Amino acid sequence: MSKHAAINRFGRSANPAFTKNFNQFANDLPLSDRMTLDGAVNKTGILLSLCFGGAFIGWNIPQLMFPAMLIGFVLAMITIFRSPAKAGSTAPLYALTQGIFLGGITLFFEAQFPGIAIQALALTFGILATLLVCYKSGLILPTQNFRLMLVSAMGGILLLYLVNFVMSFFGSTLSFLTSNSPMSIGVSIIIVGVAALSLVLDFDFIEEGAEKGMPKYMEWYGAFSLMVTLIWLYLEILRLLAKIRSR
Amino acid sequence: MQKLEAGKNLNNIIFGLIAIISLFAFFKLAKVKASSKQLNRDSRINRFGNQNTNNIIEGESEEISDEEDK
Repeated sequence: MSKHAAINRFGRSANPAFTKNFNQFANDLPLSDRMTLDGAVNKTGILLSLCFGGAFIGWNIPQLMFPAMLIGFVLAMITIFRSPAKAGSTAPLYALTQGIFLGGITLFFEAQFPGIAIQALALTFGILATLLVCYKSGLILPTQNFRLMLVSAMGGILLLYLVNFVMSFFGSTLSFLTSNSPMSIGVSIIIVGVAALSLVLDFDFIEEGAEKGMPKYMEWYGAFSLMVTLIWLYLEILRLLAKIRSR
Repeated sequence: MQKLEAGKNLNNIIFGLIAIISLFAFFKLAKVKASSKQLNRDSRINRFGNQNTNNIIEGESEEISDEEDK
């Protein structure tokens, strides 16, 4: 293929993933190699099962909690920034390691506040199902501005957590983030809201990907992004409930 | 004491049921296509570009002749 023919075929970049004609490339895929809604949902089920399996391990061997968290974090970074196409192999490992971490941390919270784990789990899945109904029925319509607003809020939350993390090395923390004051509970509720609304973006990503016939690996990537949001939501709900119950 | 223990157990059963029912609803509903109100709107986030990159503008075609310029 000559240089000009390649440009005509794929656009300015030779990599079809980076061209604006990506959908033309997607349309060339055979039907069996395209992303489907069913496939993405089934893969979410596989990841959730692995996460529960990991949680069982973490609950029984809490010493594995921190190594698993670090490995999970590295795997998430690899999946997001290095190779979304390899999400099929990294996402299950991510779900398993994060499951181990969640099992350990849940044990820690459960020891302090008995019954908190099942409450956090019920709230997480309840929010998941409710927001899915809202999205599917068209009650919540994600737009570009909606996405911009959520990404900005997530950036702000990340910054707060980073500042809090750095401050913790000097024996101090942001009280409105860690204490059980009414303001801290309010901040936690806002963070839970942002995490919950991020689920809508994930639903929309999967729906659009399936509609436009993206490559099969995007099923894993969609399921992975849903898992990341679910794990974040669960942790935030756990923190919120702990703050409320410690008052 | 026994009442407190029974209350805790009931609490766990109720929250456990909520979790199971929600998960079941999620897996049932997630495979259903979203409503047309959600899908057929102009304000959708366009992550992957347009599906049909069609350069042909629909309508009546008209031949442009050089004679008009003269």
